Parts: sequence; structure tokens; C-alpha cells
Amino acid sequence: MARTTLTGPDIVTRGLASNRLGVPSVVFFGVAGAAPLTVILGAISTIYAVVGNTAVPLVYFVAALILSLFTVGFVAMSRHIVNSGAFYSYISHGLGRMIGVAAAFIALPAYAAMQIGLLGLFGVVAKGILAASGVKVSWFVCALVGWFLVAILGVLWVDLSGKVLAVLLTVEIAIVLVYDFVMLAHPHGGRVDFGPLNPQQLATPEVVAMLVLAIAGFVGFEATVVLSEEAKDPKKTIGRATHWAVFLPGLLCGVSAWAMSVNAGDIVGRAKADQTDLVFNLVAAYVPEALVNVGYMLFLTSVFAAMLAFHTSVTRYQFALGRERVLPRIFGVAHPRTGAPIAGSLTQSVLALGVLILYFVTGTDPLVHLFAWMTVVGGLGVLILMWATSAAVVGFFLRNRRRENVWRARIAPVLAFLLLSVVLAATVVGLGQLLQVTPDSPFNWVFPTAYAVCATFGIGWAAIMRGARPDAYAGIGRGTEGFVVPEGVFGRPARPHRVTADVAHHAA
Amino acid sequence: MLANSYYLIAHDDRTGRSRLHPRATGLGLAAGLLGELMLFGRLRAMTGDLYVVSHEPPGDSLAHTLLDLLVAQPQHKEIRTWLAYLSQDAADQVGERLLRAGVVEPVTRRKLLSAQTLYMPVSPDQRNAAAWESIRLAEALGRRRSMNLADRVLVALVVATGLTRYVFFSPQQQRDCMQNMPGIMSSLPDDLVQLVQYTEAAVGSALAAGRR
Repeated sequence: MARTTLTGPDIVTRGLASNRLGVPSVVFFGVAGAAPLTVILGAISTIYAVVGNTAVPLVYFVAALILSLFTVGFVAMSRHIVNSGAFYSYISHGLGRMIGVAAAFIALPAYAAMQIGLLGLFGVVAKGILAASGVKVSWFVCALVGWFLVAILGVLWVDLSGKVLAVLLTVEIAIVLVYDFVMLAHPHGGRVDFGPLNPQQLATPEVVAMLVLAIAGFVGFEATVVLSEEAKDPKKTIGRATHWAVFLPGLLCGVSAWAMSVNAGDIVGRAKADQTDLVFNLVAAYVPEALVNVGYMLFLTSVFAAMLAFHTSVTRYQFALGRERVLPRIFGVAHPRTGAPIAGSLTQSVLALGVLILYFVTGTDPLVHLFAWMTVVGGLGVLILMWATSAAVVGFFLRNRRRENVWRARIAPVLAFLLLSVVLAATVVGLGQLLQVTPDSPFNWVFPTAYAVCATFGIGWAAIMRGARPDAYAGIGRGTEGFVVPEGVFGRPARPHRVTADVAHHAA
Repeated sequence: MLANSYYLIAHDDRTGRSRLHPRATGLGLAAGLLGELMLFGRLRAMTGDLYVVSHEPPGDSLAHTLLDLLVAQPQHKEIRTWLAYLSQDAADQVGERLLRAGVVEPVTRRKLLSAQTLYMPVSPDQRNAAAWESIRLAEALGRRRSMNLADRVLVALVVATGLTRYVFFSPQQQRDCMQNMPGIMSSLPDDLVQLVQYTEAAVGSALAAGRR
């Protein structure tokens, strides 16, 4: 690349770039959160079984399209925010600090729910693998082992390194492609059915509501912009990587969902019977047994990687909020040597353990009520975040277009906002159907209401902060570097004289 | 020398290991090197950018090399950029400077596959001198003695990068330090205040990304 050209960048630029991440590393980092194998083997078969609708492949393609549209404005905005953190910092830039804090208070439970939900899947999958080798244990024990590993790695702040992720992901994608090819090569009834791809199905409200399930399969791509400080060329690398992080899972999941239904025929019935074993049972007749076993192991590692990624997301959110003093300052304290945000990591682990024990004691089904429910609820939270972020992008560029073209600053963000509004409205209306509860069940409304309460609490908390600690309020959403960024645009003083390090590192 | 003192505080005197995350130590050392040039009157900072105000060679060879680099790369002005760039090999650069000064000695540690050269104090005299760096600061602050400008910057960098508890051991000392920080910060020239603030922010970002 640029390094080999004689007239390339100067020594400083090269020196910085050599130690930074390129597009593939950032994509791996982003896609790891939504490990494709977890989504394809775990989520898609569960959606088929729980919702009982065959429009799943279409839903993934549409979700990818909407998110691509969203990404256009999102990435454009990331170029203008110096320290681009997660969604909530975009929201606080575009819609103000109060909405920003509200978004943060939605993000925390949403990601926490996702992570805890995955523990259920991990337990069920591990139990299945052990049962196949003759060891009978409860899902709870397996989930506890997974929980323990994540808790330990979380405290040590061990992120699976880029290379490990890259290898795992490459192998996962390869095996998915093999399975897809096998399933498409052996269609049910000898004829490839294009029915599941018929766009007419999109007209039903249930299918629109299913988009939230698909969107839950893309949640990792927020992580790509977090790495903008670490990327070789923040302007280009992150943009490309984010588009890839949407495009790649969208295509893989959509094609796989279609391939499953082509091979199975009555996909809903098969999914209900086989649950997460669906794909393996479908391909078992056509591939060597070893390939199925490898698939099971990769499934387990992929779920584990996703759990760890979500654990890291939650703690990173808490760390950022703690440093900005939105949360108690203890959350902003990092271990000096490893940099691990201890308090956030422990909080999430304790919360997860509590939920696991609750599910075990009450004997609730880990696959439907832990994995499916929690990830749907988490997906709803992430959808609210994306929706608010798309509004923030519109608001941000309305004030000043900052030399972005009309497509990136106006058309794409507005279209994305409208589409996400439709999806969000349909999801809130159709949530009961997605959770498969009766129309008079409180679960129809309790989750959206809970998010609304969280958001209201966030706004109230921000208002209290504005009154009591105006300097901390001014730093909301400005990231760890916010307080020195000399910009007057958002009403911040150009360069306040204060050291915040004292509170950040040494409260403990 | 600012970066020398910071190096000795930031590394364990028995094991030679960095007390902070290596990236945080690198950033602190980079800030120390830039701070030396500011103390020498060669470099100034304005709204987050660095400006060379004098090309006159400083007495120290590492500072001289850095000044030449700053002069040769005028397209890079931001403190953030320079901190990030210099942090990559600051530990080796400063370690070698300490070696030349006879303050440390090279010790090679073999790990499973790689060998790593650590610069650490070995003889009793060297270890006393190294330990003195942090004791000196704690004493001065505890006895409310007036500190020179270099030591005040050093305290600010220690706090900004998270080394406080390796200099101020008791909770009482730490509280005293925190109470004194605003006074110390307001006594620093504006250039050094910016340097400290950007260092603290860069450390926070590096830790939040969690990449190694």
C-alpha cells in the first residue's frame, strides 16, 4: 500500500499507520459481536421456530439495506466527531446531551440483555455437544461455565485478539458457505423454491416486526466506529469497514436462511422439532460427520466470542459513562496495568449470574425465554438506539452540512430515519407476537415501557447533572478527549482549565 | 530530565516491568519528551497544536533528535498525533538515554519465544536513585515544599497517567495530592497544561479501546 511508494506519506504518518488497524481487522472486530454462525445457527432457526413465518431470508436482506442506508450518514458524521464513541455520543452531539444520556440508559440494559440471552444459547449448545459425547449435564451448568470464563476474561480485559477472531471468523464463514451450498444443491422436492424471497411478504406487519430480529444480528457494527482512533486512516478505513460489517452478515444470513428453507421444505415444522440443531440435521445426510462436528464446535466458539464481545460492549459503555461522570466515578476507574474497567465488568457478571439463577430456579426454558426473549428485548433496545442515532445524524447535518454531499448529509439519513421509524413502530406494536405471548399478557407492553422509563430516567438524570455539576454535564458524549477539544460549536468553553484525571484513576 | 524521572517512576525497580498498561506508559514518556522541549523553551502549544519557537539545539541528544523531527515534519502539529507517534518507542528511547547516563543497565529477559531487553536499575546506588524520584515528589508535596517547574509537570503527568499510587503510597498522601492538583495545574504555563490534558485524554482513549 502507501508504505511501498516512494512519495508516500511521511515518517510520522507511516509510523502511526504501521501500528494501527486496517479494514479487515476493524471488520473482524465489528462482526465478532454478531458472530455470523451464532446468528445463522442460533437466531435464524429460533426465529423460524418461534415466529413461524417463512419470510426470514427477505427480512435479513431488507435489514441489511436499511442499515446500509443508515451507515452512509452515520459514517459521514463519524468523520466530524473527534472522539467518536458509541451510539450515545452521536446522539448527544446531534440531539443534545439530555437525549444522549437517555440513549446511554437504554444502551446499557439492551447490551446487557443481549449478553445474558447468549448465555442461555451457550448453555443449550454446550449441553447438546456434551450429550452427544455421552455426558449428561444441565444447561445451567454449561451456562455457568461460560459465565465464569467470560467473567474472568472480562476482569482481565482479555479481548480475543484480532488474529484469533480473524481465523475463527474465516473458518465460520467457510463452513457456512459449505453448508449453504450443500443445502441449495439438495432442495426439498428437487426444486429450488424462490418463494421465501418474494417481496410481497413485506406488506404484512408481522414481517416488518421481524426486522428487529434481523437487526439484532447486526449489532456489532457499532463497534467499528469505536476503533476510529485506532484505524490507519480514520476517514476511509472506518467507513469501508462499517459498510462491510453490515454487508457481510446481511448477505450470509439472508442466503443461509433461504438455503435452509429450500432444503427443509416445511421449514417452520423442522425448526420447531430440531431447534438449534436444525442446520446440522439438514446437512448431516450430505456431508461427512466430521464436518458436522466441526460445525458444532465452531458454533460454540462463535457464541462464546459473541458473549465476550457483548460483555466488552457493556463494560466499555460503563467505562465511558463513568469517565464522563454520568455513572458513579467508580465505573470510570481502570486497572492501571491492564486497563480493565473492573467495576463495570463485575457488575455485568453479577447481573448475568443473577438472571441465570433466576431462570434455573424457576425452571424457565433457556432457549425460548432466555435466549430468544432476551435477544429480542436487547434487539429492541439497539433498534431504539439506531433510530435515535439516525435522527441525530439528520439533526447534526441540518445545523451544518460540513461539506458532505447532499446524499450523505441529507437524503440517506432522512430515508434511514423514516425506515427505522417504521420498523420501530411495527416492532413495538408486534412485540407480543414476536415473543409468542397471548394478547392480554403484560409482556406485550412491559419491555417498551421499561425502555421508556429508562429513557425518562436518563433525561431526568441529565437535568439533575446540568443543575448540580455543569462541568460534567458539558462533557457528556464528548468522550475521554472531549474536554480538551477546542470547539465552541456545542457551547463548550474552548479550553477549560481542569484536570479530570484525579477522579478517574484514583477513586478506588 | 522530565522523561527520565517519569521512566523511573513508571517502571518497577525490581522487575523492570511497566507499572501501567504499556500504552499508557508510552504516552506518559512521550509527554515527558515533549515537556522537556517546552521546559527548554524550544516548543510551545496553542489550542492543541505544537509550534517550534527556537531551532537552537538543546543540550540533550534525544531532545535534539526530537526537535529535528518536529522541525522536519511541520505538517504534523497536533499534540495528539505526536503523543501517539512518540509513545510507540518512547520507552526504548528514554531507556537508552538512562543507560547512557549510567542510571540503569540493560537486562535481557527470555520469554517463551522472544527476548526482551529491559532497562532497570541494578546496583544499590542505581536503585536508590530510582526510588528517590518518587520519594522526592511525595516529600515535597507532603512537607508543602515549593517544587520547581519540572517537578510540578512531573506530578501532573504522574496523576494524569494513573501512577499516583506508586508515588503517594498512603491514602492520606493521595488525598493531599488531589487537593494540591488544582493549585499545581494553575501554576503551570499554558503550554504544559495542554500537554498534560492531552496526555490524560490519550491514556483514557487507549485504555477504553482495550487493544494491545
